[in-house]
Amino acid sequence: MSSFEDVDTEETVTSLHMTLYHPGHQRSGIFQSIKFCNRETLPTSEVVKFGRNSSTCRYTFQDKQVSRVQFSLQLFKKFDSSVVSFEIKNMSKKTNLLVDDKELSYLNKMDLPDKCLIRFGDYQFLVEKEDGESLEFFEIQFFLSIRPLLQENKWLPQKPTPECGSCSPCSTQNNSPMEAGENEW
Amino acid sequence: MERPLTVLRVSLHHPTPGSATFAYVPPQVEHDASPLLVGRGPDAHLRLQLPRLSRQHLSLEPYLEKGGARLAFSLKVLSRKGSVWVNGMTLRFLEQVPLGAINRVAFSGVQMVVRIEGGTSLEAFVCCFHLSPSPLIYRLRAEETDERESVPQEQPPPGSGQGAPDHLGFLHSPLQPSPGGAPEIPLQREPLDGALS
Repeated sequence: MSSFEDVDTEETVTSLHMTLYHPGHQRSGIFQSIKFCNRETLPTSEVVKFGRNSSTCRYTFQDKQVSRVQFSLQLFKKFDSSVVSFEIKNMSKKTNLLVDDKELSYLNKMDLPDKCLIRFGDYQFLVEKEDGESLEFFEIQFFLSIRPLLQENKWLPQKPTPECGSCSPCSTQNNSPMEAGENEW
Repeated sequence: MERPLTVLRVSLHHPTPGSATFAYVPPQVEHDASPLLVGRGPDAHLRLQLPRLSRQHLSLEPYLEKGGARLAFSLKVLSRKGSVWVNGMTLRFLEQVPLGAINRVAFSGVQMVVRIEGGTSLEAFVCCFHLSPSPLIYRLRAEETDERESVPQEQPPPGSGQGAPDHLGFLHSPLQPSPGGAPEIPLQREPLDGALS
């Protein structure tokens, strides 16, 4: 009997796509620790921390204006739901976190919408979630946007231009990298 | 100016007398604003020696409600195999529930009652542990359920040491309400499944 027939049924995993933008990223290398376009698989029980401190944060930003731990994401399962959801928590005492139009102070947390814009300081993160079946693992993938994700106080779901020259293809969920013009939306 | 810490008064009971279940439980521990892990593993902040317990079985996570000034806590199940009974609800892997002022929790034969006494510090909180030789969680009173006339005979949490019917008491908790007067979470009738054995 072939191993294909014997192996456990594959489960799709929940994917989190995060598109990052900061106006000074090219100048200051703040995203140098982030592996763009790389799909990373994490256990669902992990509390994923973002910040400046590499000892405590899985994803770090080389920016002294970023808190040692800026915010965290963790998965949970709602009752009577077969899919997992994300929860975001502000871990910064100095900087409030904006999730779309909701403001989170230190230790405030909220359910993360399936698609939303996270902002703190000059940072803008577009987060998009794709549901999967697995309760064991989830994926996270980063993209870089050279254009602001927020325009005129309303964020626009632009397709970012990924900057990850070594990976091919390196694209958004639709697998077609597009450069969005300023007037296209 | 130092602010008073939130105190979690945690009472623990396991039915096996003289067991080493609580050998690693300190009288008191101060913990920062990260989740407090409960489990069998060396990374657990509250480490219990039970073979059936997962290395990370559950967590108590501090957070702030919007507009709130005192730490709130939520309990999240981290065990893939086991489940946790919390205030009448059975939670499974990755499910979580906010905690009230007084909370009854049961998992893998352990009974745990958590009382939260709010302080204003957001930096850390303190857990004070008390080991109880007697069970902490009893059968629900009939009038505390919606089914006054036909309450099924509900067994106490397995492993509670209450084999004989005359040990099944009403819910006269040995605990007093917290001085803050915060309302106790009303218990719901939920089947006490294998999560409690």
